Amino acid sequence: MSYLDKTIVELHELLLKKEVTPLLLAKEAIEKAKKDPNNAFETIVEKEALEFASSLKECEEDNLLWGIPFVCKDNISTKDILTTASSEILKDYVPVFDAEVIRKLKDKKCVLIGKTTLDELAMGGTGTTGHKGVTYNPYDPSKTCMIGGSSCGSCASVAASIVPFSLGSDTGDSIRKPASYGGLVGYKPTWGKISRYGLFPFAPSLDHVGFFTRSIEDGAILLNALQGYDPKDGSSLKDHDEDNLKNLKNGVNGIKICVFKEIIDSINDKVILDAFNKSIDNLRSKGANVNIISFPKELLNAIYPTYMVISCAEATSNNANLDGIKFGPRGEGNTYQEVMMNSRTKGFSELIKRRFVIGSYSLFKENQEELFLRAQKARHLIVNKVNEVFEKYDIIYSPCVSKARNPIKGGIDDKLSSTYLIAENHLAIGNFGGYPSLSLPIGMDDGFPFDANLTGRVFEDSLVFQVGYALEETLGYKNLSIEKVVK
Amino acid sequence: MNFEAVIGIEIHVEMKTKSKMFSSSPNYFGASPNTLVSPLDMAFPGTMPTVNKQAVINAIRVSNLLNMEIDHTLYFDRKNYFYSDLPKGYQITQNDRPIGKNGYVIIDSLDGKKKIEIERLHMEEDTCKQLHLSTYTLLDYNRAGTPLIEIVSRPDIKNGYEAMKYVDKIREIVVFSNVSDGKMEEGSLRCDVNISLRPVGESKFGTKVEIKNLNSVSNVQKAIDFEIRRQSGILLSGGIISQETRRFDETKKETVLMRKKTDSVDYKYFREPNIAPIYLSDEFVQKAIDTCLPSLDQKRDYYLSLGLNIDEANQVLLSFEMSNYFDKLIEGKKYVKTLWNLLMGEVLSYLNKNEIEINDFIVTPSNLVTLASLIDSGEISFNQGKKILQEMVKNDDDPKKIQEVLGLKQNSNLGDIESFCKEAIKNNPQSISDYKNGKDRAFSFLVGQVMKLSKGKVNPQLVSKVMKELIDKE
Repeated sequence: MSYLDKTIVELHELLLKKEVTPLLLAKEAIEKAKKDPNNAFETIVEKEALEFASSLKECEEDNLLWGIPFVCKDNISTKDILTTASSEILKDYVPVFDAEVIRKLKDKKCVLIGKTTLDELAMGGTGTTGHKGVTYNPYDPSKTCMIGGSSCGSCASVAASIVPFSLGSDTGDSIRKPASYGGLVGYKPTWGKISRYGLFPFAPSLDHVGFFTRSIEDGAILLNALQGYDPKDGSSLKDHDEDNLKNLKNGVNGIKICVFKEIIDSINDKVILDAFNKSIDNLRSKGANVNIISFPKELLNAIYPTYMVISCAEATSNNANLDGIKFGPRGEGNTYQEVMMNSRTKGFSELIKRRFVIGSYSLFKENQEELFLRAQKARHLIVNKVNEVFEKYDIIYSPCVSKARNPIKGGIDDKLSSTYLIAENHLAIGNFGGYPSLSLPIGMDDGFPFDANLTGRVFEDSLVFQVGYALEETLGYKNLSIEKVVK
Repeated sequence: MNFEAVIGIEIHVEMKTKSKMFSSSPNYFGASPNTLVSPLDMAFPGTMPTVNKQAVINAIRVSNLLNMEIDHTLYFDRKNYFYSDLPKGYQITQNDRPIGKNGYVIIDSLDGKKKIEIERLHMEEDTCKQLHLSTYTLLDYNRAGTPLIEIVSRPDIKNGYEAMKYVDKIREIVVFSNVSDGKMEEGSLRCDVNISLRPVGESKFGTKVEIKNLNSVSNVQKAIDFEIRRQSGILLSGGIISQETRRFDETKKETVLMRKKTDSVDYKYFREPNIAPIYLSDEFVQKAIDTCLPSLDQKRDYYLSLGLNIDEANQVLLSFEMSNYFDKLIEGKKYVKTLWNLLMGEVLSYLNKNEIEINDFIVTPSNLVTLASLIDSGEISFNQGKKILQEMVKNDDDPKKIQEVLGLKQNSNLGDIESFCKEAIKNNPQSISDYKNGKDRAFSFLVGQVMKLSKGKVNPQLVSKVMKELIDKE
């Protein structure tokens, strides 16, 4: 009997009725994780998980997360458990503290099963650049199409129903885009709503901790557990917690939703467009006002370069601690400069070094005005324009990807095409403005799922879930996993 | 040709807050290496800075004492560079918007009062301490993250004396506002001097030389005076000054080359993304200022108003801690002179002899006040007071109890005193005639004899009075 293709809500019912125990769930998850063919795991914490699960005896009725197994992206600090960020430079790093989100889930008696792969240091969107190699898309037995990244392992594990939810991080679209390739609900909150304490920083002004689930309701449950002020995180929001389940089922009647015409125009894939248009019809039929509006194309085109400059600049600084002196395999050398250079040369892959160079270059005194500060200005322009849209609309709705199947080799060559610049990169708007942003599956293309995205005003995470719930009900893709699809 | 020196000084002050600038690690000097360390101080991935409120209050107070404009919004920036003493690979500082700007202090220069302008005051964090050994370097992260304020003067200082006075003034301000120990020898106040020479009347600046490792106020003066001579010598012989960093060698009493300065490092500053701007309310800033401890000048005025003379006042004020103890003694504004005498005499020599800091002095101020009251009421003599004090330093016992146990009580019975005096006069006829012939010392001798006969138990003031009356009658 398999349980882990069920949602958190379903599992809670079974746990309450004692049809299943946390230990049984943990065992099943660990078995599946061990057999995982997709290279989704850095570490499986069998001993700790089984110990903790066996200590859980009486199901807490009002705690929907009690005894639920989960996995966590390996750039989130776990005390006494190897946390590598899928990078050689941290391959032996064992943190001495838990991230705030881990602490909260432990409090809720969730059982951590393992740490999942990512694009090295969360810098990448393909799921191919971690030190353990490519993480595969569970929907693709041929292993040629990407699961996306950087939260590739966390996405693959939930899509493969190893666990019902997982933690990830999202700096450009690192949860919400892979969620599309994995047919999952992927969410990042309003910036500051979920503590980042313990998340390895990539670009703090854009970084978010978020999660993957297989239903909107599960997501709202998780957000209730993870949100909240954390004094250890200086950017943490005070007094913005609400019960995200309270209005979840209130529907979309009268909700104002807009779609950017320029994003639709940048997509050629008929399956995606048809499914997206159908979902718009569904929203309208439920009473939502959906309008197609125009958004300045030059701003949409600027998203990717703006993102690259800001994120690389912040990244080069954030990762300067990884110098071989405190962390990482120590390089040889007679001076501290030699030690650092050799450690970092060996410890980082070429892609990471390339991003550090871009970041450093854009921060140089002579370039800062032209690159870093200009990118900051572009970010402000984009956010201001989006905020104008939010004066009229509650939600921005868009497809997450330009196609469901994105080959690992080959892919989109023309990095200056609208398909790449806009269709594949617009989700970073959510990071620029710190908006709550949620992806959910809206269709399948020959066995490959794909998502659309709902982005709302800051602090209105609850509304995003409410709209997501209504949409999910109309589509029939709730609790999608490879087991469900195969059945 | 005559040259004038253009001198600017950067002072780093380590704040003595309970915890560090951005982490909750304890912050104090002298702990075993690497025992005051939290994950943030070692730059563990995922740790995040939170701003120390007391450090902000301190920075506001010092900015105010330096007559600066105070920024009511706090911003922090990252200063990026690789160095083995820098855990994160960047330092969190305030580059763009220092909390204080455009201030000044008044110093006593050789030509009278002089205003030294101060460009900026900002908060930042310290690096770790390095101990370079033959083939390796030891790192102590205790210091990493210690809150600092950096105070940057404008180049208004003209010579070593003014520099010394300036540093001393800053030290006084940070010490008396309870912001820092201000100990240059321990590195809790460090100063870097920038100095260049130019012909008198020239408006262009000469090449700047930086002097580091100045571990006392007097070395600041010596280093600058040496450097002025060195640079004038080079310029007069037609040489050119090279841009370099020098340090002061205490044994040679001269500055020596540390390194030539090449192109300055690009620190790639940018706003610290993990600290959102912090808005300080007017009330918060005003409260920080209003609750600041009194300055040295304010304390001195107060002591003078209680009857101390200026030398006495200055002596207590040589040490912030000593003056704080004295403040507790004189809370009741009574026995001020006696308390000063006890503190600066017996207590100080006891502390010095036993190498005890006043903060660790066992005797509570209230017991010392009781002792002074016994002396001032004539209950005991000052000398008896000293004997009691010798006991008090053991267990901080009540001086009245000690007095009882030791049987120390001053005898003020006029009959007793008169008979002692008569005996002394009888025994020392020579002294009487000496005194009558104008030798004042003979009188003191006679009083001494009375004290001896009474085993020190009679009131010396009364003895003098009675003795004088008796001799006059003879």
